[in-house]
Amino acid sequence: MAALLELKNVKKIYDMGRDIHVEALRGVSFSIEEGSYTAIMGHSGSGKSTLLQIMGCLDRVTSGEIVIKGTAVKDMNDFQLAKFRNRTIGFVFQSFNLIGNLTAIENVELPMIYAGVPRAERRKRAMELLKLVGLEEPEERAYHRPNQLSGGQQQRVAIARALANDPAVILADEPTGNLATNQWRRILDIFKRLNESGKTIIIVTHDPLVGQEATRIITLEDGEIIKDERIK
Amino acid sequence: MEILLEAFRSLGKDKLRTFLSMLGIVIGVIAVIVAIAIGAGTTANVTARISSLGSNVIIITPGFTGGFGGRAAMALTSVLQETDVQNIQQMAPDVADVTPILQKNFNVIYQATNTVVTVVGAYPDTFSILDLPLQSGRLLNQNDENADANVAVIGNVIATTLFGNEDPVGQTVYVSTGGFQVPITIVGELKQTGSKLTFNPDNMLIIPYTTAAAKLIQLNGGVSQIIASAKSAQTALNAVDEINNILYMRLQNTNQYRVISQNQILSTVSQTTDVLTLLLASIAAISMVVGGIGIMNIMLVSVTERTKEIGVKMAMGATRRRIMVEFLVESMFITIVAGAIGVGLSFLIAALVTYLASGLRLTVIITWPSIVLSFGVSVAIGLFFGLYPAYLASKKSPVEALRYE
Repeated sequence: MAALLELKNVKKIYDMGRDIHVEALRGVSFSIEEGSYTAIMGHSGSGKSTLLQIMGCLDRVTSGEIVIKGTAVKDMNDFQLAKFRNRTIGFVFQSFNLIGNLTAIENVELPMIYAGVPRAERRKRAMELLKLVGLEEPEERAYHRPNQLSGGQQQRVAIARALANDPAVILADEPTGNLATNQWRRILDIFKRLNESGKTIIIVTHDPLVGQEATRIITLEDGEIIKDERIK
Repeated sequence: MEILLEAFRSLGKDKLRTFLSMLGIVIGVIAVIVAIAIGAGTTANVTARISSLGSNVIIITPGFTGGFGGRAAMALTSVLQETDVQNIQQMAPDVADVTPILQKNFNVIYQATNTVVTVVGAYPDTFSILDLPLQSGRLLNQNDENADANVAVIGNVIATTLFGNEDPVGQTVYVSTGGFQVPITIVGELKQTGSKLTFNPDNMLIIPYTTAAAKLIQLNGGVSQIIASAKSAQTALNAVDEINNILYMRLQNTNQYRVISQNQILSTVSQTTDVLTLLLASIAAISMVVGGIGIMNIMLVSVTERTKEIGVKMAMGATRRRIMVEFLVESMFITIVAGAIGVGLSFLIAALVTYLASGLRLTVIITWPSIVLSFGVSVAIGLFFGLYPAYLASKKSPVEALRYE
């Protein structure tokens, strides 16, 4: 399978001032194939969040190289990065991060607004996506504000939002961290279903139960890969 | 379109805060518009009253000596002479007509009524120069002058004081002077004209010049005032210069006389009211700037509060420019709505001011430029004071913004 995302000796050093430097990533290299389901695991402080930010083009590397879909991220300016994130990457966060002023369906439409998708098309696709993530009675729920939805429902809206522009990869950061067990299962099922239909998924987690769902587990410690195993 | 809708939503979330931040601009806009409206109204008022003088009229008075003597000096001193009238007639090419006036206050008695009236001795051409319209009876004529006739034309207001509802024409009043009482027969009544500068015909009893000089106001060749008319409104200023030169030749002191034309007074008045209007409007404009600072404050708080939201939007692919525009639209939305409310309310306030100040003869005229100006300024304030917070919002690092709790 072709490599969708490739990291070559990526280092990230945070300058904390007063000559204190924190090396969050100490030369990480791996590649993610299209259609794969990868879990990146590690304890807090292992560098997994930094890695997610860098793969998500939210932050820049100190050295090394990232190539996503054949494009070297390093050479892009802020504007190009924003456009790239918009079309190529779908984020799912631990605390859902839906926009409170907007209804569920408007949250799903947001990335499409940034992409310039016409209104009618946007609405139609957003509704389809809400159905895809199994929001009960989507016609009604779609017009609820986030604070009128349960945590699991919010996270499903967030997944629908991540899928809005049909991105090459879904990056999920502890997506079940804030959810009760029964909701948790549903979210992981959605990821599994998405992966089975061909979507590339990367989940960052510290929870081995979540990690088990993936077909590949990369384990980080102190900014370095200590284990890279493929299951099944 | 979505940006506008989103701005509306996030402003609607905290209605009290949005309302309070609007208030500064609303008050500022009202203050600016009403201040300018009062200025415009006053100017129009004063201009209308001065214009009733007739644009060609020039009035020459003795110089005000200042202090308490000023008014008395005008009536009694003989700074101005009949020879000045002749000189002006002969030597000022831009002057059409010129005529002397004798003027003094007397007790005037009609039956049981006794009141102080300004008695004016004037030649018949005074009526045409000052454009004094007749209500009933007749004006004074040359025959009255030749005969030193004891006749008078009476002003509208003083006629009511003396005669009430009676027709004054044909009645006889007595002008009291040092123990004597001079009987004067009213032959005509003027229409009400309002004050004509130093002259208020409504309160005057106008008698033939020769009658006044012979029996009531002896100034030994001196005159109280001189009234002249320029050949046209265009040459009025030239005529003023000519008269000034003629008087200076004899008196050698510019403080002893004053030559007043309507144009001069109009420009002085409009300069004064312009300065006052500018002053009022500037003070009002300061309140708009203060309102702008309030909006900036609110927007800065809003940017900080919504740091996480900014981070999420950036992760979803919002460009920095997009974030900046979103916040700018919000601050401009506040000021545009506030400006519109301010314009609307200022009409209400203007009506209220007119109603409350009806006794003060205060006119309030809302002008289009003041509306356009204050609305424009409030929009500009939204842009200016919204720019920095919006810039800060757009400059946030996505990673740090996402981490913000």
